[in-house]
Amino acid sequence: MFYSTRLRLIIGFIGVSILVGVISLFVGSQLIYRAVLNEATMRISRDLNAAREIYLSRIMTMDMALNVAALDPEFSSLLYEKNTNRLLNKIKKIARQSELDFAGIADGNGTTVCRIGTNSTAFEKETVSNPVVEFVLSRGKAISGTVILPYEFLHEENPELAARARIELLPTPMAAPREEGEEKSGMALCAGVPILNGQDVIGVIYGGKLLNRDKEIVDTVRETAFQGETFKGRSIGTATIFFKDLRISTNVLNPQQERAIGTRVSQEVKDRVLIEGERWTDRAFVVSDWYITAYEPIIDIHGDRVGILYVGVLEDKYVFVRRNLLTVFILITIAGMAIATGLGFLLAHKITVPVRRLISAGNEATKGNLDPEIGPISNNEIGSLQTTFSEMLRSLRERDARQRAESEHKLILSEKQASIGKLAAGVAHEINNPLTGVLTFTHMLLKRTDLDDEIRNDLQTIAKETERVRKIVKGLLDFSRQTKLDPEPTDINRLVKNTIELVENQALIKGLILEFLPGEDLPVRTVDRSQLQSVLLNIIMNAIDASDPGDSVTVRTGIGVSSAETVPAHGREKNGPAAAGGDESGRGEHAVKGIEIAVTDTGCGIPPANLDKLFDPFFTTKDVGQGTGLGLAVSYGIIERHGGKIRVHSEVDKGSTFTIWLPLEDKIEK
Amino acid sequence: MRNSKILVVDDDKIVLESCKRILEDEGYKVILVESAEGAIDLLEMEYVDLLIMDMKMPTHDGMYLFEQIKRKWPLDIWPELPVIVMSGYPTPKTIKDGLNRGAADFIPKPFTPDELISSVNKALKRRKEDGPRKSDRSPGTGD
Repeated sequence: MFYSTRLRLIIGFIGVSILVGVISLFVGSQLIYRAVLNEATMRISRDLNAAREIYLSRIMTMDMALNVAALDPEFSSLLYEKNTNRLLNKIKKIARQSELDFAGIADGNGTTVCRIGTNSTAFEKETVSNPVVEFVLSRGKAISGTVILPYEFLHEENPELAARARIELLPTPMAAPREEGEEKSGMALCAGVPILNGQDVIGVIYGGKLLNRDKEIVDTVRETAFQGETFKGRSIGTATIFFKDLRISTNVLNPQQERAIGTRVSQEVKDRVLIEGERWTDRAFVVSDWYITAYEPIIDIHGDRVGILYVGVLEDKYVFVRRNLLTVFILITIAGMAIATGLGFLLAHKITVPVRRLISAGNEATKGNLDPEIGPISNNEIGSLQTTFSEMLRSLRERDARQRAESEHKLILSEKQASIGKLAAGVAHEINNPLTGVLTFTHMLLKRTDLDDEIRNDLQTIAKETERVRKIVKGLLDFSRQTKLDPEPTDINRLVKNTIELVENQALIKGLILEFLPGEDLPVRTVDRSQLQSVLLNIIMNAIDASDPGDSVTVRTGIGVSSAETVPAHGREKNGPAAAGGDESGRGEHAVKGIEIAVTDTGCGIPPANLDKLFDPFFTTKDVGQGTGLGLAVSYGIIERHGGKIRVHSEVDKGSTFTIWLPLEDKIEK
Repeated sequence: MRNSKILVVDDDKIVLESCKRILEDEGYKVILVESAEGAIDLLEMEYVDLLIMDMKMPTHDGMYLFEQIKRKWPLDIWPELPVIVMSGYPTPKTIKDGLNRGAADFIPKPFTPDELISSVNKALKRRKEDGPRKSDRSPGTGD
């Protein structure tokens, strides 16, 4: 039982610590992960801004270089002179300095004068218009920005460029469906500046950088924004330029560790960014990993959304942070559980040890040790339990001691009576044989006729005293014999009446008034008639002996009440009220109805000191030769075997009342 | 009645002596024996008119003697022989046992010569009048 209490306590502690641990684990990790994620999202947002700046600054550099060149007065004169070679040299120099993929000069009609590409001179046959030059000429001012260049144009400019621009569309799981198998157009950063002669536009200087398969911008973004940060050997930052939804320039790698050019953005991002023109920041699955990403649309010089600029950081880094956090939380929870278990053990020990002690003390008490060790008294509820338990044991000990004293007293009494009985039996048996001889030969002598009077008198004394010895021995035998009762249904009044008739003569001789006042409606009670009669005889004879001429002896019968449960050691209530005046019904809660026979005399009474010894064997106040001291002891035994008792009430010089009380229901020892 | 032969069995010599004096004085022939075995031996040889025996004796008691007589002479001696039982420690049980086994009378010790004589006379007289008897409940004495 207490094992399970301890177990329950510990389980409770562990349960609470697990609950708290798991909740804090869950809430804490979520909170911190959110914070980390927010931080990451904010960061990626900033990174996207940086990427845009890099993208725009690349356009601006190009724009500035061409503007500076166009301001050179030599340009307009060389163009005017149609000095193609010198123009070409100049433009090549600019293209080299500004790292342009293509550049050239067109005249005021839009016809190419020279270009840095391979077929730098076959201008007249050209069929493809230059979108930048056309834009500048139509507006009459410089332009820079993102431009979509058709394949044919690129091919005119430089067939290598056209080849570079061709990108095969790779199958991408979540992308929007596209019918064509490849993309031939190019997306480029371009600038075009008019060459002026006074107020007249005499030509256009143009140049650009093809973004298809370009590494420079995306790698610059990675180097600048993410500063080459790596996680487990991989660069955590990535950047991509999309042409429509197609990856044309990227440092996101595919599983083969190649740049994932040709793959496409998911339909969801395409719809949100390219079609609706919104900025998108969230975690997203990019090619083969989860990234925290930011996308924004790229607008071309005509104001159309033609592509997407993307930056992303590997989510793994943050997952790792979260995993670390989780580990820390789990460790804290486990530590908490361990502490809780220890604490549980400690508490359970503190609670159950005194309780166990109490239990073992209780068991010991059950086995009879009423003074068991219960250990130190705790200063809590268990302490008061211990105190109560000790109190209980103390009163048990006291009761035990009381009972032991009582039973020892009874035992001593019964041993006393038994040993007296044995002695009496032995003595009686041994004495009776020689007494036979004494009686026989005394009487034989008395039969002789030749005796003188003196001798005859002496012999008669011997015979008389021998008779006395015989009586004493008979009394001893009566006392020693624990005679079994021979009970018969008896009319008590008739029995009393018969008994009184036996002693009437003696009362008459002594001059006493012997009266019998029979009670009415006495029930028939089963008793041993002859033994009860001998008791009655004994008590009435005692009353007669205690009385002087003129006194009265009254015998009453009736129904009386007594507490049957607590029979005192001697079964007598020495100072109890007489049956006639019996008002004792109020005293005992176990009051039992019974038949009472009260013998009242107006004789000398019994001194209080003698009341105690009244029922002891051989106690007598009669003159030597008048009593054996066994009558009341024998009477007491007989009444006790009938389940009843004898009460005595006596006052010196006023008289005594002996009351025999027999319970109505038979409790006879057979 | 006179000249009747009476066998007295008791382990105490003074009791035997007392019985002898009382009964011989009355004119009876008295044979004394100190044990139950002695009584059996005597009964083998002699015819007696009355048996007086003590209940409590060292080796074999009065009950034993009763049983032996019944067993040995179920047809002649037993039905004829009146028995008076004596006891120095008379209890209702011993009295009842004796009378139930067919004792003619029970005398508690000590007794006066008159008590013994009256009991013996009664037993012999009844035997003469009634002949053999099985069981006779004479009133108990002594208590």
